[in-house]
Amino acid sequence: MNWGRVLGVIEKYMHESRRDIFRVFDVIWWPVFQLFVWGLFSAYLQQVSPNTPNIASVLLGAIMLWSFFDRASRDVSIIVVVEMWNRNLINIFATPLKLSEYLMGIMVVAITKLMVSALFLVFLASVLYAFRIESIGWYFIPATVGLTMLGWSISLITQSCLLRFGQSVEVFIWAAATLVQPFSCVFYPVSSLPPWGKMIAMTLPSTYLFENMRGVMNGQPVDMTGLGISFGLNVLYFLLALWIFYQAFAGAKVRGALVKQS
Amino acid sequence: MEPILAVKHLTKRFGDFIAVNDISFSIKEGEIVGLLGPNGAGKSTTIFMLLDLTTPTSGDIRVLGMNYADDREKILSRINYSSTYIELSPRLTVYENLLFMTRMYGVVNAREQIEKYGKVFNIADLFGSQQYRLSAGQKTRVALAKAFLNEPTILLLDEPTASLDPDIADLVRKEILASQARGMTVLLASHNMAEVEEVCDRVLFIDHGKIVAEDTPEELAKAVRLVRVNLMMKDGQKRTVAFAKKAGFGTTVEHRSVTIEVDEHDIAYLLNALAEKQVAYSQISIDKPTLEDYFIKVSKEGRR
Repeated sequence: MNWGRVLGVIEKYMHESRRDIFRVFDVIWWPVFQLFVWGLFSAYLQQVSPNTPNIASVLLGAIMLWSFFDRASRDVSIIVVVEMWNRNLINIFATPLKLSEYLMGIMVVAITKLMVSALFLVFLASVLYAFRIESIGWYFIPATVGLTMLGWSISLITQSCLLRFGQSVEVFIWAAATLVQPFSCVFYPVSSLPPWGKMIAMTLPSTYLFENMRGVMNGQPVDMTGLGISFGLNVLYFLLALWIFYQAFAGAKVRGALVKQS
Repeated sequence: MEPILAVKHLTKRFGDFIAVNDISFSIKEGEIVGLLGPNGAGKSTTIFMLLDLTTPTSGDIRVLGMNYADDREKILSRINYSSTYIELSPRLTVYENLLFMTRMYGVVNAREQIEKYGKVFNIADLFGSQQYRLSAGQKTRVALAKAFLNEPTILLLDEPTASLDPDIADLVRKEILASQARGMTVLLASHNMAEVEEVCDRVLFIDHGKIVAEDTPEELAKAVRLVRVNLMMKDGQKRTVAFAKKAGFGTTVEHRSVTIEVDEHDIAYLLNALAEKQVAYSQISIDKPTLEDYFIKVSKEGRR
């Protein structure tokens, strides 16, 4: 790994993010929009169900963690698809830059954007809805790391599809996370799902993380087994996604797609 | 001496279509080699394989004695590439784009190199402009500056002067020749025949994925034996055209000007015949065959 090149990639995308007003908009707008809608909905639920303690906080916590996953699944893919739109992949990969260095660079950029977005979200939730991040406690860290990791796995698969099928499948960048959402039990417990749905849910690392979050916010200890399974699945899926991405990249070079899509 | 670039039996298939068909060539250090051919001949595919952007179906590529399977990083740090048809990041300024490229190539004296080639390609005043605001010609100059930043041992250029004003195109050709004097090796794909004749030591002519000719520009041009005899007629225009047609020479008439295409060995025969027929002309010029004539000839043969 050549860190000079990684730094170059980070610097490039930081400059681009700063210049492009729509990307700044993207970092702030969607999380705020979601927070606003779900915050109002949570407040309404709290009003109509005063006997259900903590419902607003749990929903707000869920939407915040979800936004980590949602952003992680899109941010890295967007960088790649924008390079395709700009016909710049040839310039990038005609240099000694390795694929691993490129991925490392764009993931650091994605994390930075994620942090900015998350901090803004936490601040806004505390001001608008008196949400306290302490209610999730230390569990916030493994939950966000786990969800970001799953988001990246999905992003790598999306990018593999882009390399394989071209820009016609770029809609998956925005749709991929929502396909997983119903089975991740973001806003409701696993027990709400039908049996077949539960089977799918148990294969998703996100399910354990959201289930644990609800428990923690309702005063229960962290289910370490669930957390362990979640991380095990995450590592497995990430490595698998990485392998698929490398295969797709090599395949794109064989088909000449890397230069055609540039 | 081992060639700096050696290609053996290189083939690239896309399904049933053969883009590059078993080509072999080598380039010596400090040579400028032109890669010519009609659109779709396989020039770009060859360049992309030389850059490891497209994987060959079969064949071997050796750059500086190394191959991509073992030494991709080392090879690419000593090659650079520029094409009129490739974009740099539109949102970055020219300077940021060039700086990014120096980071990718590990250029130690990045700022000095950017300043140097900013001056050479007359883009220093554009450093603060975002790439998307540049004209096509300005973008081409930035792409060329990018290609020289790491002082590559091998430079691959695809249509480097397309969309440039003549004075800037001339400047670019001078820089290519100057880089050769510094020991750089250049593979130049171009449709500009005059440019290829001016700067290239040798030409590879590629058509339908195959190398159909390989020689100096002068020798390739000689392969076209037809010369054009241009006459500005004073008297006997009809007799001249009738004779040329009867003799089987290609003839073009425009007002008082008659152009006759003859084999170079038949020039004397033509002029003697016209003298016998008491044809009078005020001006005569003879155009020797050029590389462009060769290009047209081979392209026509390829289409048949």
